[in-house]
Amino acid sequence: MAIEAGLIAIGAGLAVGLAGLGSGIAEKDIGAAAVGAIAEDEKNFGKGLIMTVIPETIVIFGLVMAILLWIKM
Amino acid sequence: MLLPEQMTKILIVGSKARFKETIDVLYRLEAVHPIDFSAEEEGFSLGTPLPTASEDSQKLLKLRSVEKDLEVVDKPMAEKIQTAKVESEVGEAIISLEAEIAGAVESKLRVHNRISELQNSKKLLEPFTQLSVDLDLYKGYGSIDVFTGIVRNDPTDDLTKAVDRFEIFKSSDGKFVALFVAKAESAKAQQILVTQGFTEIPVPAGKGDPQEAVKAIDSELEALGKSLADAVEKIAKLREKHEAFILASEEHLSIEVEKAEFPLRAGTTAHSFIVDAWVPQKSLAEVQKALREKMGEDVHVEVLEVALRKEHIHPEEVHAGVSEEHVVGTPPTKTDAKKPVGFFSFFTELISTPRYGEIDPTIIIAITFPLFFGLMVGDIGYGIPFIVLGALGLRRCTTPEWRTIATMLFFGGIWATLFGFFLFGEAYGMHFGVMGTVDATHPFGSELTWSSMLQTELPHLGFLSKLTDVKLILYITVWIGFAHLLLGYLIGMFNETKRHGFRHAFFHKFGWIMILGAGAFLLLFIVDVLILNKPVGIDDPRFILGIALILPGIAIAYLGEGGQAMLELPALLSNVISYTRIAAIGMSKAGIALAFNMIAIEMIAPMGGVLIIAAIAIFVVGHLMVFILAVISAGIHGIRLHYVELFQKFFVGGGLKFNPLRIVRKYTIER
Repeated sequence: MAIEAGLIAIGAGLAVGLAGLGSGIAEKDIGAAAVGAIAEDEKNFGKGLIMTVIPETIVIFGLVMAILLWIKM
Repeated sequence: MLLPEQMTKILIVGSKARFKETIDVLYRLEAVHPIDFSAEEEGFSLGTPLPTASEDSQKLLKLRSVEKDLEVVDKPMAEKIQTAKVESEVGEAIISLEAEIAGAVESKLRVHNRISELQNSKKLLEPFTQLSVDLDLYKGYGSIDVFTGIVRNDPTDDLTKAVDRFEIFKSSDGKFVALFVAKAESAKAQQILVTQGFTEIPVPAGKGDPQEAVKAIDSELEALGKSLADAVEKIAKLREKHEAFILASEEHLSIEVEKAEFPLRAGTTAHSFIVDAWVPQKSLAEVQKALREKMGEDVHVEVLEVALRKEHIHPEEVHAGVSEEHVVGTPPTKTDAKKPVGFFSFFTELISTPRYGEIDPTIIIAITFPLFFGLMVGDIGYGIPFIVLGALGLRRCTTPEWRTIATMLFFGGIWATLFGFFLFGEAYGMHFGVMGTVDATHPFGSELTWSSMLQTELPHLGFLSKLTDVKLILYITVWIGFAHLLLGYLIGMFNETKRHGFRHAFFHKFGWIMILGAGAFLLLFIVDVLILNKPVGIDDPRFILGIALILPGIAIAYLGEGGQAMLELPALLSNVISYTRIAAIGMSKAGIALAFNMIAIEMIAPMGGVLIIAAIAIFVVGHLMVFILAVISAGIHGIRLHYVELFQKFFVGGGLKFNPLRIVRKYTIER
């Protein structure tokens, strides 16, 4: 049982951690481009923000998975 | 009501002789959004500015130069000046002002120039002060060349090897050198210098000891510094004396010039003018009445059309980013958000101005954004400070950005307190009532609560705990997502019906409403199958209903939007799941708060003595951190749910903001 719980915990950690890394990698380029666009015209702020946070959903998926795993522990 | 105000297009025609008065009336009404005249209509030409324009602009130009010289900046003034006073006095005032300040400004400029000149020559002299060679000794030789400058390495050894007749002076750090070398060997010497990274510094003009020269400059600088301070003080005095009048005159003249240049936006013939304009429907009568009363028969207002919500521009072009500003004849958007909804209009403007034919989403932001914020924070301990901070901010702040943040904190704080009290029953990450096992060692429960900390039994508030009812809270947030998105699609359907007709709305939005509904039924089914492990098969009515809705839904969406709809399908799923961030953020904050509470209260405080102070410090700092994190994460994620998930379901934006002729006076008042 202890080993099982440990494996689940590792799985949950991986789900959140890797998803977070993925979001970060995706967001970094978008964020840089968005800042460029905002520097050119401040009206782009809203669009820039939307574009930047789109990949953020991935980490929420990871988090939901982690929570579901954690509940099973 | 929720749509922007109904607009009417009017045509104002009148005699040119009374154009100026008409302009004054239009400005005073603050309800007329003029349409720039396009010089294509036959028989009309673009108007020319009123005769007062050029004189006023000249005055304004002079005034602004005075303003710049005196360094006058915008700031609130105690009293306002009558426009009549400005008008009668400004002409002479400018002349006398120019004469009065000319001396002070000129002497300041002169001193300033001399100071920078001296500072330059001082900078040039400085390296030479390190060598004890008089300045006039660097020049005027027939058979010797002199090199002065900076080197990276000491060239003396190389020079000794290659050059016979030379003398070198070095600064104490060896970086600055002056090399005197016979002309015959100067080419060789120069080459050696170059290999040692030589950069030439020319010998400044002057005579005698450079140190003496620098001293002389310093004493002159000191004297100049004093006279500069005098000049600055004199200017400050002049500024104090005149700034109220200068600011008032500048404001009044700017307004007069703007009014005088208004004919550039109108069409004229030899004796008459025409102005096209948008007027809010409810102000129309007022506009007509004002013009009739003031102008009588000389000016006529013709009502052309009531603006329709329908758009003739193809919807795909709108999505491709064609803004209203480029489409001639589109009515402007005047959203009529009153307090407190109006506080949130900044959030909408951050994305775009709503179009004339769509609901202003500010009201939805005003309702659900604080709600989400409150759900994520859900703690009395943070909620009450949020309310206090927000109220302070709303009272004190003036910039729209800070006011918006204060608005978020105030209304979000109210919800956070309500949820903290009635739903979660916690303050600073701790519940009130007794929790955990109660026994002899733990008379008030084994878990850390306000009861166990204060050693008194407190009533248990709330129904949920962020850290133990995770599954339920996740489930609730998914349903919040369904409800919020459904609202978005319903508004989208309404907007599309208004702008492009029901058929368009049906294919573009109704299919998605069906898909969303199907998703809700399927969610109920999936939860039973996967999580609760109930024995349900595919003959379950929820599954059948879900499939029965989703298939035609997809078909309708496909007919409306084509293949793109297939790509949107998983996006909709991720949109719904995205709302679980409300649970996730609430949980993470509760987790961090719990960690600090355990460190401070359970681990450090029981050791007693001085450590109690340490425990209090950790408690305070820790919760301050959670508090700040709450503003950032709950605020950003709350608004993100609106921008990314909700707005994409209906908001198009790109509208033209209603911008009526109006005058804002800060420093002047009219009779």
